[in-house]
Amino acid sequence: MLTFIVRRSLWAALVMFVITALVFIIFFKTPGVDPARAIAGRNPSPQTLAEVRAQFGLNRPLVVQYGLMMKRIFITRNLVSYSDQGVLVVPEIFAAAPATLSLVFGATAIWIVMAIAMGVAAARLRGRIYDPILMILALIGVSTPVFWLGQVVNLITQNKLHSSVFSWVPPLGYTSFTTSPALWFEGLIFPWITLSILYIGFYARVLRANLLEVQSEDYVRTARAKGLSERRVLVRHTLRTSMITFVSLFGLDFGVLVGGGTILTEVVFGIHGVGFLTWQALQNLDLPTIMATVIYGGFFIVLANALVDIGYAWLDPRVRPN
Amino acid sequence: MRQNWSKVARLGGRTGLGTLAAVAALALVAAGCGNSPSPSASSSSSTPAGHAGGVFTILANSAFGVADPAQNYTLEEWQLLINTHDGLVGFAHVGGLPGTKIVPDLATSIPTPTNGGKTYVFHIRHGIKFSNGQVLKPSDFVTTFERQFTVPGPTSFYSTIVGASSCTTKGCDLSKSGGVVANDSAYTLTLNLTAPDPELMDQLSLPFAYVVPAGTSLKLTGNNVPPGTGPYMWKSYNPNTEAVLVRNPYFKQWDATAQPAGYPDEIIEKYGLQVSDEVTEVENGQANEVFDGDQIPSDQLTTLNSAQYAGQVHVNTLTADWYMALNTNQPPFNNLMARQAINYAANRTAYVKIAGGPSLAVPACQILPPNFPSYTPYCPYTTGSQTTWSAPDVAKAKALVQASGTAGDKVVVNGTNDQVGTALAEQMVADLNSIGYKASTQLLTAAAQYPFVQNSANSSKWNVAWSAWYQDYPAPSDFLNVLLGCGSIHKNSDASPNIAAFCDPTIQSSINKAESVEATDPTQAASLWTQVDHADTLQAPWVDLYNPKQIDFLSKNVNGYQWNPQWYILIDQLWLSK
Amino acid sequence: MAAVVEQAASTVLRPAVAGRNPWALAWRRLRANRIALAALILFLLIVVLCLAAPLYAHDVAHVENPLVPNLNGTTIVGGRVVPVMQQGGGLLKLGETPIAPTWDLHHYFLGADNLGRNVAALLLYGGRASLQIGVCSAVLCCGIATIVALIAGFFGGLTDSILSRLMDVIWAFPAYLLAISLATELLTHANGVPVGPLRISATSLWTPTFIIALIYVPYVYRPVRGQVLSVVNKEFVEAGIAQGASNFRLIFSDILPNVVSTVIVLMPLMIATTILTESALSYLSVGVQPPNVSWGTIISNAQDLLYTRPWVSLAPGIMIVLTVLALNVLGDGVRDALDPRAKLRVR
Repeated sequence: MLTFIVRRSLWAALVMFVITALVFIIFFKTPGVDPARAIAGRNPSPQTLAEVRAQFGLNRPLVVQYGLMMKRIFITRNLVSYSDQGVLVVPEIFAAAPATLSLVFGATAIWIVMAIAMGVAAARLRGRIYDPILMILALIGVSTPVFWLGQVVNLITQNKLHSSVFSWVPPLGYTSFTTSPALWFEGLIFPWITLSILYIGFYARVLRANLLEVQSEDYVRTARAKGLSERRVLVRHTLRTSMITFVSLFGLDFGVLVGGGTILTEVVFGIHGVGFLTWQALQNLDLPTIMATVIYGGFFIVLANALVDIGYAWLDPRVRPN
Repeated sequence: MRQNWSKVARLGGRTGLGTLAAVAALALVAAGCGNSPSPSASSSSSTPAGHAGGVFTILANSAFGVADPAQNYTLEEWQLLINTHDGLVGFAHVGGLPGTKIVPDLATSIPTPTNGGKTYVFHIRHGIKFSNGQVLKPSDFVTTFERQFTVPGPTSFYSTIVGASSCTTKGCDLSKSGGVVANDSAYTLTLNLTAPDPELMDQLSLPFAYVVPAGTSLKLTGNNVPPGTGPYMWKSYNPNTEAVLVRNPYFKQWDATAQPAGYPDEIIEKYGLQVSDEVTEVENGQANEVFDGDQIPSDQLTTLNSAQYAGQVHVNTLTADWYMALNTNQPPFNNLMARQAINYAANRTAYVKIAGGPSLAVPACQILPPNFPSYTPYCPYTTGSQTTWSAPDVAKAKALVQASGTAGDKVVVNGTNDQVGTALAEQMVADLNSIGYKASTQLLTAAAQYPFVQNSANSSKWNVAWSAWYQDYPAPSDFLNVLLGCGSIHKNSDASPNIAAFCDPTIQSSINKAESVEATDPTQAASLWTQVDHADTLQAPWVDLYNPKQIDFLSKNVNGYQWNPQWYILIDQLWLSK
Repeated sequence: MAAVVEQAASTVLRPAVAGRNPWALAWRRLRANRIALAALILFLLIVVLCLAAPLYAHDVAHVENPLVPNLNGTTIVGGRVVPVMQQGGGLLKLGETPIAPTWDLHHYFLGADNLGRNVAALLLYGGRASLQIGVCSAVLCCGIATIVALIAGFFGGLTDSILSRLMDVIWAFPAYLLAISLATELLTHANGVPVGPLRISATSLWTPTFIIALIYVPYVYRPVRGQVLSVVNKEFVEAGIAQGASNFRLIFSDILPNVVSTVIVLMPLMIATTILTESALSYLSVGVQPPNVSWGTIISNAQDLLYTRPWVSLAPGIMIVLTVLALNVLGDGVRDALDPRAKLRVR
């Protein structure tokens, strides 16, 4: 088991290395991105450019530059943004993280509750008209582009109805919990719903399928035969088993979202979290920030993948490689 | 204006920088009376002193980047820096045309150069203190100028100072080299130049040259602004949240024209808002000013037409060009007739609509913007009168394309991939196709587009490139020499502002002539600049599209609006009704 | 881009049932599934509508070239000639607003966009681009993924490890950075990019198609590789090896037919996913380039007009939802048809 964990972690580290190296190479191969130009500001003289290049080590081999950048991210933690030299990249990411975490945790709470409710309801109502209706609703959720849904939500809550029904909805943006818990909640409720709709649809379908599958397993039949109530069978046996897939998928999705996968939701609702920061950095071609967000996001994705794999290995020894 | 991504973030790049300096020397004329529907300018001289007090809140989409005055090159910070710092000289702190006049500030007068225009002796005012209590001395300026070279920034402005060429980011000693000599007992400061510079006073009026205390680090101070001598001082600046300016306790007004005391007790600029929310908050009176007037979404722009906001909206023409540079190194636009053809064909009415309509942009066809020194109206590329643009002349354009033998050529139109950039490029493609070219777009993210089109290494990849330019200071060379002079072409560099790579030896010799007589014979220089403008226009290195206008939207309780052509809205001169 | 992880569970598939003529059987089952059939019809209807775009533009809406800016154009509303772009009113006359929906099929049915173009016509042309990119990138993606999965699964060992980690890299790689960099790189080749014997124009729809196909290769790769692994050790493959069949023959005649059903089940779901991705990339302006339009670019261009001209963004959004929904329902039906043991059934 230990060897498996170690091996998996080593692979994860290697994957992260390749990704960061690729980002680095791709960045320098993209036309029009000379970092010296970005650092020097508007209309610099050729001499200034040369000096900036020397001062920032931009004339050194790419390998050295890569090493320096990693050192500044992980060890000295003083990497500055190319587009604003007053900004330290690492603290900036940590400052943006609470917004993303607030968004993801809220949406997660909504989607877990709703998905379980819908999945269980659909499975129990199988054969009646409610099951396909619920499943079509779930599919509509899965089929809706999140940025467009966000726009529609804004159209409803921020436009004409804003003066009546939705007057309590604050303007787009994020207010931290410490500033005002009420504003934090009011500002996030619609982003939460928007983000969770896709996942509600997806997880409700997964859960329903698993429930139906487990229901035909022998031990469930045994439990029923023993005379246990339908409700007890569901909660104690069926649901518990079915949740294994649910939880492992959840781990992956959660990792992606926490790592900045909420970019579209953050952009459409103006929430300045990690996804927004990533998008801004991409627009400005600001390599230090891109690099830091890639590492941050990659860390969570790889971590989630590894945890799920290890969890599986722990649950099911057959997966463990010899 | 109204960038697609304004909802996301202000892009680094020209439109952001565009917000940059502006000015228009004579713009004021127009601003004050002409097309500004607001009663704007010139109402403040009568403001009674009793208006002081309150907190003035500005809302901005994004911050202005690094705050160190030696590096920052944005109008956004400059609008604040002019209230916290001073230079030897400065633009008069008033609205309207008088605001383009350069007046002595920390110097007691504007010196006449000696030594053939290469030596300037400034007498520094006594008794002025920095906001940290330190007394201002001439030697403070030595550090200030040295920082121009040790902190990476647009050092070319001051590169004529003796000894500047041996300065690097590692070190600089301008007093030893004799370039900047301070005499703390006589209270004088001597600047020695390697060659006469007719624009020196303009350049000294920019915030780069605003004095900081002698002890200031020669390295970038990041987001800590060193102390200054103005009526306000920086309490804090965080590009993710806000900048706060409070009164400088050591400030005593010495010249109301150069640096008047301001009205608000505190000036706060908040960052990270969507432009639409800025507008809403100002409509609701929760804040006082929308900084990003040029990015208000079309949706909201039309709501501002409502009579209830009539007194709160101010529109002023900027001395700025939005244009399409034609690549003079590549066919078809290495051919003069082809360049003139697209100038005849470009339908400026359509471009103006993209900019928000005739209330927000004026069609243009020459290089210098209206209300600028040496500007005289000239438009060879239209039907009817040859002074202002009225309609495209497609027939003439088609004839020129045929005559040039370039019909059917492929043309790549390079632009930015935001909403306005895309629209401008698509309209240009339509205009080019209408006269027989095979045009397509090449839309890049704004941060990459500007460096990309400047670099001659990419010259073979595009034929037409969008760009925009907002004046640094009101001198014709800031357009004619910086953007179209032979000296502004730097091969294989991402910083080569002559995007069209246009170099005409005859015109260049007129430019050189104009610069050399500027100090001695301003009248001749002015007429030479006019000739250069018209000659450039006839050579058609660009398709000039329009001159944009700036919208300022203020809350109902704001009074005393003044439009300065160099600094735009004068924030400290606004006062709040109580 | 959360949708990316979508459907991971549904890919836990079982091998196709061995039996007589399984394809005919599957088709019969699909035909019996009325909801899936309705979805198929809806999807085909959308495809036909979009293919008829030029017909609508020329013969109904009378637009010469619907993709070209029409800022100075006019149209007829209630018998009167009106400009397509209308200047703001009041004292200041700020702004230019495109015409609102006229609900008249012949004249700007859904109004105009920010360039004065006919939104109804754009919607159909945009659908062509969205569908073309969706289908082509899904096919391309499944093709590449299947080949890589066959190689990894068949050879195993180091080959498998390396290919699988490569897939991890692609999966965790920031897709938008890839899209922006590739788009910038490709766009700056003025004469197009050579792909084999072809020259692909920089603004062609193939640029986003390749990017999207690449992004999803790992996503298809995983289930197919699992499928290959489970087949490789089966008796008939071992028999083939014993008979000395070439690797090529083993892979393509013995193993491939046994994983094809997995790929076919994934296909509609992949098209749904790629259409969503195309719209997201275009929304962030790194997808479809002018002069082409797609549903995503129409929404992107309508952002500043959301409150005054909501239909410019509502209409393409609704089209995306309908198309993707139809494909997802169809995907369920195909899976049920190919794998009767599956429980995840819509009906």
